[in-house]
Order: sequence, then C-alpha cells, then structure tokens
Amino acid sequence: MSTILSLQNISKRYGAVQALSGVSFDIPTNCVFGILGPNGSGKTTLLGIVTDVLKADTGSFTLMDESPSALQRRKIGTLLETPNFYHYLSGYRNLQIVANIKQQSEADIPRVLELAGLTARQHSAFKTYSLGMKQRLAIAAALLGDPQVLILDEPANGLDPVGIAEVRNLIRQLAHSGKTIIMASHLLDEVEKVCTHVAILRKGQLLGSGPVNVVVARDNFIEIGSADNRALAQLIQQHPAFVQLLPAGDGLLQVTFKDAMDPATLNSWCAQQGVWLSHLQMSRKSLETAFLELTNN
Amino acid sequence: MLQIIKIEWLKVKNYRTFWVFIILSLLSVLAPNFIIHDIFVKRIPKDAQKLLGASVYDFPLVWQTVASIGSYTSGIFGLLLITLVTNEFTYKTHRQNIIDGWERRDFVLSKLFWVVSLALVAFLTSLIAVLIFGGIYGNTPFSFENCHYLFYYLLQIIVMLLLALLLAMLVKRTGLAIILFVGYVMFLEQLLVFIAKRYLGNLGGLFPLQAGDELLPFPVLEKVEKLADPNYKGPYDNEVYLAVLIIYIVLIVWGVFRKMLRSDL
Repeated sequence: MSTILSLQNISKRYGAVQALSGVSFDIPTNCVFGILGPNGSGKTTLLGIVTDVLKADTGSFTLMDESPSALQRRKIGTLLETPNFYHYLSGYRNLQIVANIKQQSEADIPRVLELAGLTARQHSAFKTYSLGMKQRLAIAAALLGDPQVLILDEPANGLDPVGIAEVRNLIRQLAHSGKTIIMASHLLDEVEKVCTHVAILRKGQLLGSGPVNVVVARDNFIEIGSADNRALAQLIQQHPAFVQLLPAGDGLLQVTFKDAMDPATLNSWCAQQGVWLSHLQMSRKSLETAFLELTNN
Repeated sequence: MLQIIKIEWLKVKNYRTFWVFIILSLLSVLAPNFIIHDIFVKRIPKDAQKLLGASVYDFPLVWQTVASIGSYTSGIFGLLLITLVTNEFTYKTHRQNIIDGWERRDFVLSKLFWVVSLALVAFLTSLIAVLIFGGIYGNTPFSFENCHYLFYYLLQIIVMLLLALLLAMLVKRTGLAIILFVGYVMFLEQLLVFIAKRYLGNLGGLFPLQAGDELLPFPVLEKVEKLADPNYKGPYDNEVYLAVLIIYIVLIVWGVFRKMLRSDL
C-alpha cells in the first residue's frame, strides 16, 4: 500500500458556492498529512467526501488503493468537525456503539478512555460532558481498535492549552508508531509542530501539496547588524550567495542567501571586508508567514 | 443484519423515552378495548344488542373489533419511530454511523428494522388483546375465523410507520416532524380523502391510511350499513386495497433509500 488516499479531480458545489474545484493529491503512508486552509477553504468538505457523508459532484478517490467503502472506513479512526454522540447515553455506551459499527472488540474501550483521560467519567451521560470532554471522547472513539490511519478534523477544537499540548503529544506518539495521520487545521502552529506533509486549500482550490518544506518554501535567512548598517547593506549585496535584503526592524538587516549559510563563514567574510558584525542570528520564516504569503497571492 | 440489530438495541436499551413510549404504545392497543366494551356491550340495552347480533367481543367478530380499534391508536408507534429517527439527525449520529463504518444502506436498514419491529409489537399486542378480550368479554369459543383482519392491521401499521419514517427523513427535526405527522394522521388525510372522494369518487379511498381503514371497518358501523342495505359492499374489493397498501410500501421504501443514498448528510 503506497498511498492511503488518492484524490482525483474532486469538485463540490453548494448552490452558488464552489466549495472544492478539481482537487487532486495523494497522501502517502506513514506521514502526518496536514490539510491547511483558512476557515471556509473546503477542508471539512473534502474530509466529508472522503468519509462518505458528502457526495462529490465530480471526481473520484481511492482509500488504501481500493475504491472507497464502509470496509475501509472501519479501518480508519475519524474525528470530523464536531463530536457526534447519543446525548442520553454515557461515554462508555457511546463507545460500545462505535466499537460495534467498526466491528472491533469492546475490550479496547477502557484503553482508549484512559488515553483520553475519561475513565473517571465514563459512566456519565454524554450531555453532562464539557466541550473539552466531548472532544476527548471523539478522540477516544477515533482510536478504538488502534487503526493504522487517523483522520482528525481540527482535533484541538474546544480543548484548553493543556489539552492541546496533550493532543499534540498524542499525535506525535501515534505518528512515531508508524500510523498515517490526516489532519485538517487552521492552526498553523499546531501543523508546524507535527506535520510532515501538507496540502493547502484556498476557496476550494488546491494551492499545493507535498512535503512541508517543499510546498511552503521557507528559506533560511540571517539577521545581521553592525555599527554602520548602511555600509553593511552595501557590502552584503556583494556576497556571492546574496539573494535578498530586507530591513528586519530594530536596526537590523534580514538577508537571504542562495545556499545554507554558515554564520562563522559569513562573520569571517564581513571581517575580511572591514565590517565588524555586532549582531548575527540564523532565522527561519514561520509557517504562518509563509502560509499567508502563499494564500494571499 | 444481526450486527445492525445489536447496534440499534444498544442505542435504545438505556433510553428512557423509548421505554415510556413502548409502555404507552402497548396501553394504546389494550386500553381502548375496555372503553369500547363499556360503550357497546355494557351501556347498550340487551334488546338493542340483539338487533346488532353477536357482541363485538364474541369470536369471530373480536378479531375485526380489536384490529379496527388498534388502527385508530396506532399513530403512537409512529411518534416513537419519528423520535428514534430524528434523534439521529439532531445528534448528527447518522453522519457518525457512516463515518465509523456503516454503509448508507445500513442506516436505512436499521430504521426499517424499527418499522418491522414496532409493527410486530403492535400486531402481537393486538393478538394478545384478541385472546384476552375475546376470552373475558366474549361468549363464544375461540376461532381463527376472521383472523385475517389482524393481518390487515399489520399491513396498515407498516404503511403508517413507513410514512412516519419518510417524514422524519425529509423533515429531520423532531418537533416539526411530529406536528406534521399528527396533523396528517388526525385530520389532513381525512380532509384530502373528503375532497378526493367528492371530485374523484371512490379513488379518494385509496390514500395510504384510508386504504387501511377501508379494510378495517368497525363491526357495528358495518352492521348498521348492512341493516340499511343488505347488499352493502365497499366501493372496491379488499384485494384492491391490499394491492394499494403494498404499492405504498414499495414506493416509500424506495423513496427512503433514494433519499439516504443520494443526498449529503
């Protein structure tokens, strides 16, 4: 199995709104795949089509190299949008229903409840849960039967900072254990910390997909400063690997080079040219900045 | 299918509303017979009863009596079905069931299971009512003659439950679906039947619930009509109404599958 999910030309329209237009990309096995996009970009619609709660107008997809069916969905742990459970049943009884639909043993329920930190409240009715607990139950349901593939749509929704950190750690642990995780999120910080691959959507159109650093080019840059920044600016533009110079604020210069630049080499080169650096720091464009540049253009 | 039934059982096993509805539904089949017995047997003077012939609780008439009375109160089973179906839409669990690994047709089958189950509960309770009331109030020995009325009742309640299912699938909201269903069962169809009979004649008797009612006339009223005209006969043969009911069943099941298989959830 080389690809978990392969989308071919998926389009979906809601009345006047084109939610997805001709989206195609592949999700390889054993990766943490982030589907990124601002609110309303089509992330949940895309996952809804993959999980058969929505029907695509055109296009097709395969799940685990086969045409999609309930059989594949049973092997995928999915948390889509909001936690959907029977309000009058307890957390445990809700998981019993999920286990039976997935045709998994009910013996796995205590393990996932413990993972989600809900053991103490497992016999309380779902309607008495806080938003965070509801989200945790949905995560527990997705983990039932220890699936090899997880689809998580905004998994940190409704969680407090501790909960968000816990979910992030859990996703990392799951990824380390060789699972494929497909995660939709608009929280770039979250994605930056866990994803290996991304697909970026804007207004239903795919802007790019693949490994994070390929899709969202984030060149290394170096912040430098000296007593005479004007002289430094003139000098640095003569460096053989020079690409771009931007003011970085605080009287510093932000310089991008063609190749990875070793700070010691740069420092030495400047000194040889008679300019002594008072500030030298390697930096990297944040995913957020890169993402905003990509989605605004 | 067994797996689907087990899952449906897990959904209702600890659902108090379900059990309250079930108890009310059972009472709705049994209780009216006490009242009808009180009115048509105890309160009518003995001489008048002779005119009417056998008591409505004597075998074989009791089969028709219980089935006919049941057809008036069976709507409560429809309310339970609407609650079970619209709950899924309210909690969005219809989506979750599919996401977790049901085919969309499994969801429809799970609700058709309730149609059949509730119809069978109504049927079996009516059977028990026949045995109880025929045994206690009747003066004649047990007989299977006329037991086909109970099967007509089964068919009518299946049509009624399927209508409730279709309405719940289309409307999705519990309150609105219940109001529309009660309105339809209580007077809307009667109104349509009245108008249709006026302009289309006997065809007006072929509306879904009316077709069942035509098969289940209350014995005393039927007798009164026969007293007035000994050759009195309904506008169509029973086979016509039976065929119409089966056509409704096929059409509604087809409609429910089509809705569920094609639309966004």
